[in-house]
Amino acid sequence: MSELRFDHVSVRYGSRSTGLTAVDDVSLTIPSGSVVGLVGESGSGKSTLARAAIGLAPVTGGTITLDGVDVTTLRRRHPIQMVFQDPFSSLDPRMTIGESIAEMIPRGTFSSAAAKRAEVGRLLKLVNLDPDRAGSLPGALSGGQRQRIGLARALAARPEVIIADEITSALDVSVQGSVLNLVRDVCAELELTMLFISHNLSVVRYLSDYIAVMYLGHIVELGPVDEVLNNAKHPYTRELLASVPTRNGNLLAVDPAAPLDVEPADPHHPPSGCRFNPRCPIGPLVHPERQICVQSAPQLPTTPGHATACHFAELTKDRLPQPFEPAW
Amino acid sequence: MPTRLKWLSIVRSPVGATATVLVLLLALLAVFAPLIWGAQAEAIDTSGTQQGPSAEHLLGTDALGRDVLARVLIATQLSVALAVIAVVIGVTVGTLLGTAPSVLPRWAGRLVVGIVNIAVAFPGLLLALFFAVIFGVGTTGAVLAIGFAMAPGFARLTQTMSAAIAGRDFISAARAAGVSRLRVLIRHVLPNIAEPLIVNATVAAGGALLAFAGLSFLGIGVQVPAYDWGKLLGEGLNRIYINPAAAFGPAVAVIVAGLAFNLLGETAASVAGGRVTIGRWTLPPRPQPTTRAVPAFSTVSVGTILSIENLRVSYPTPSGLVHPVRGVSFEVREGEALGVVGESGSGKSLTALAASRLIEPPGVVDADRLEFNGIQMLTAPEKTIRGLLGTSLAMVFQDPMTSFNPTRRIGSQLAEAAQEHQGMSKKEAMKRAVKQLQAVRVPAATRRAEQYPHEFSGGMRQRAMIAMGLMNSPKLIIADEPTTALDVTVQRQVLRLLERVRTDTNAAILLISHDIAVISQSCERVLVMYAGRVVEDLPTAELYTGARHPYTRALLEVVPDLDTDREQPLGVIPGRPPAPGEVPLGCAFAARCPLATAQCREADPELEIHRDKHRVACWNPVESDTRVTLPELTAAAHTEAAPVATVGGAQ
Ligand SMILES: Nc1ncnc2c1ncn2[C@@H]1O[C@H](COP(=O)(O)OP(=O)(O)OP(=O)(O)O)[C@@H](O)[C@H]1O
Ligand code: SF4
Ligand code: SF4
Ligand SMILES: [Mg+2]
Repeated sequence: MSELRFDHVSVRYGSRSTGLTAVDDVSLTIPSGSVVGLVGESGSGKSTLARAAIGLAPVTGGTITLDGVDVTTLRRRHPIQMVFQDPFSSLDPRMTIGESIAEMIPRGTFSSAAAKRAEVGRLLKLVNLDPDRAGSLPGALSGGQRQRIGLARALAARPEVIIADEITSALDVSVQGSVLNLVRDVCAELELTMLFISHNLSVVRYLSDYIAVMYLGHIVELGPVDEVLNNAKHPYTRELLASVPTRNGNLLAVDPAAPLDVEPADPHHPPSGCRFNPRCPIGPLVHPERQICVQSAPQLPTTPGHATACHFAELTKDRLPQPFEPAW
Repeated sequence: MPTRLKWLSIVRSPVGATATVLVLLLALLAVFAPLIWGAQAEAIDTSGTQQGPSAEHLLGTDALGRDVLARVLIATQLSVALAVIAVVIGVTVGTLLGTAPSVLPRWAGRLVVGIVNIAVAFPGLLLALFFAVIFGVGTTGAVLAIGFAMAPGFARLTQTMSAAIAGRDFISAARAAGVSRLRVLIRHVLPNIAEPLIVNATVAAGGALLAFAGLSFLGIGVQVPAYDWGKLLGEGLNRIYINPAAAFGPAVAVIVAGLAFNLLGETAASVAGGRVTIGRWTLPPRPQPTTRAVPAFSTVSVGTILSIENLRVSYPTPSGLVHPVRGVSFEVREGEALGVVGESGSGKSLTALAASRLIEPPGVVDADRLEFNGIQMLTAPEKTIRGLLGTSLAMVFQDPMTSFNPTRRIGSQLAEAAQEHQGMSKKEAMKRAVKQLQAVRVPAATRRAEQYPHEFSGGMRQRAMIAMGLMNSPKLIIADEPTTALDVTVQRQVLRLLERVRTDTNAAILLISHDIAVISQSCERVLVMYAGRVVEDLPTAELYTGARHPYTRALLEVVPDLDTDREQPLGVIPGRPPAPGEVPLGCAFAARCPLATAQCREADPELEIHRDKHRVACWNPVESDTRVTLPELTAAAHTEAAPVATVGGAQ
């Protein structure tokens, strides 16, 4: 059992006057052994939430627990590990990959240097790399191979939870698949719990059991992957889905009712009430009588299953974008 | 480049070699001069004091009749040693001060930073004098004074460099695993800043040498009977009208030694920064155009805005000339939306830059034809090209921040384009700028025009960039990954905007992207590039059903979509594209291609017309219009072959 739970977590950066709340009162549970995909636009607080779990971001409110135990008391054991986005900055260029991996092995696990080396070899094999490469420097490896090292390094700490933050966004599509396949297999094999962050909905869908959608520090929609993707209720999730370039999509289609081309909100001065209201196609901009959206922030229901933080979630069903004929 | 080789290249540049030889010479002198000339330098000759230069005493003698040249040579030991000790003190104290904030408690760290900030504000020499007074007159005092005076500079340097390293993910990873701060400092931070630190120390040694000369000259440095160059210089200057050579000797020594250290440091710095100078190179003779079965385009047809034939872009590297773009041919018609897709390094951006003659030396562009709007781009004068950019040819880049001047308001930057090329008045131009910002749907355009680039969000900046391109009604907009840095929702807005501009103004668009889905959704035609060549050119409507090149097929196969089967492993193309210097004979995709034959490894297939509006470069194009899966590709799910080359930029 290793259930990761965020309970009313807030993260605030900077001073009272100039700071911003990057994560605002977020509650999210990742059931043991399952994968939660976290999507949302840049700056919505995805990485901050992840970094809070491993103590790299200042938690200013709420608690993060692993199987009911506050993670701040678990720091000696390091059961939560992270794989980072940038394969080029995530490995020390001056350490061999063997050293980088060995550094993460909890002290006292292996008595002899030979046993430690064997463990490094085992981890390299686990991520489909030749154990003989332990002596090479990261400079000699491709981006995809570095991401595997990143995973091996995280696994060296014997974690129960893996946090993967945009691990394929810096990779070419032709190697992205191999890293994703690997992550999926390893997590299944080791029964790891995972928080998988990506802005690519197709990738998230492929890997996750549940999806959480973040907007400006809030989780606005949450549920089993197919539920959320096939039956998205929050207008932001729907906008996100409509924006994914897919082979059958219609990227240039225009929703005539949507307030187009509005600027993303400023996280330093989030809008009052629902944070999505200045952009919402079913909100007060289009329906002036829906003042409740400006006055009160919709809460994410805590009931299990598919949950949406929107006052008018049930109305979104019949609001699909209009088809659009391209000029050719 | 391996570190050892890198440092060797210092010696290869003439300046570096000279500096190295000089520094070695100094070291030899420092060690052996006292042994060789020791007696001569001490030999007092009361009969021959204060003599001018002679065959016996090349620089004359001093007040006690001792040989000045011998004394200058011997003084090398003390002068250099003092400078080196001072630098060691400076670097050690500086590094300690600079790294302390990362291990001390917060308040103590702040205190250290504060003190360092105050100390760096004082001129170095002033600090040295201050410390010299504190530590007392004499050699030890001078060394400590100069050492401590250098410390704040090194502390600041260490601080900024370690702050940059601390932001890297490998530090986060180490911290997440519970590695202590001290260990992180010693294992990760210090090794990564050592190189620039040493380089700076070398430069500082030159400065310290001069500073010592200064202190000794002022009489608060080295005291009799010891002597360094500064001391000798002081003595010599007292008698400059009797024997100028006695002052000249030590002065030259100080200057030469100071310069040697400085130059060595500077060369090392440029090598550490990757700025290795490469020897001369010449462009090899252009290969004879290979005979094509069917010429791609014999003449430029009517309605063609951009016509490129056999375009090559070459760069010199230490191991010879490489060709990241190797013979690209295509046309863009008026009002057409043409997409270029390919993995990183396939030559997409270089092709776009070459088309608008924006390749900077040492890059070299050549082509059989490079014609934009009737202008021969390769032969047109510089002035004509500059006139085109920003008028009939607009460029939009991935990061518009670098394309705007950060210190000027968006509105006036836009207006400038119109003022320059259309001779509009400032007021008119400003009006047009606001109108264009409105046209690209920048909200509150009038107010926005008064803002600076950093006050715009990424998406808005991209809009402003497009608006800038539109100021002078372009015929072609080249957009290089214009949405890669943006969120999908904003990406969609920008793509829609480009589409609107195209339908409204009939401007052609050349859209470059690594995302084949983006291209398929926003262009009429797509060029697929691989290892510097176009391997397929086809209408996007046929992309998913009619692509015939195995690489195009594979690309379509491996990109996960919203309806990808989750039970199956994702498709993978084994191996990696060849680096520009390692393109094999034959088809560049052969090593990864499931359909490769012996022929593929011997000869590179030409891009040939397959049928109307469809060109393919492949010996064994995928047959029929049915949806072909490449089982070999999906089966190889877990193999990514060992790299043929290293990916650069590790530093
Ligand atoms: N150390 C920091 N100090 C101040 N503000 C920060 C810091 N780190 C992040 N932020 C801010 O917090 C907000 C959330 O950032 P975060 O990195 O979590 O976003 P994200 O969803 O991961 O975005 P992306 O998709 O670009 O990675 C942003 O407004 C960001 O500018
Ligand atoms: S609460 Fe109102 S503004 Fe917010 S998403 Fe729902 S309808 Fe839109
Ligand atoms: S030419 Fe040969 S190796 Fe190249 S893509 Fe075609 S079949 Fe494959
Ligand atoms: Mg992030």
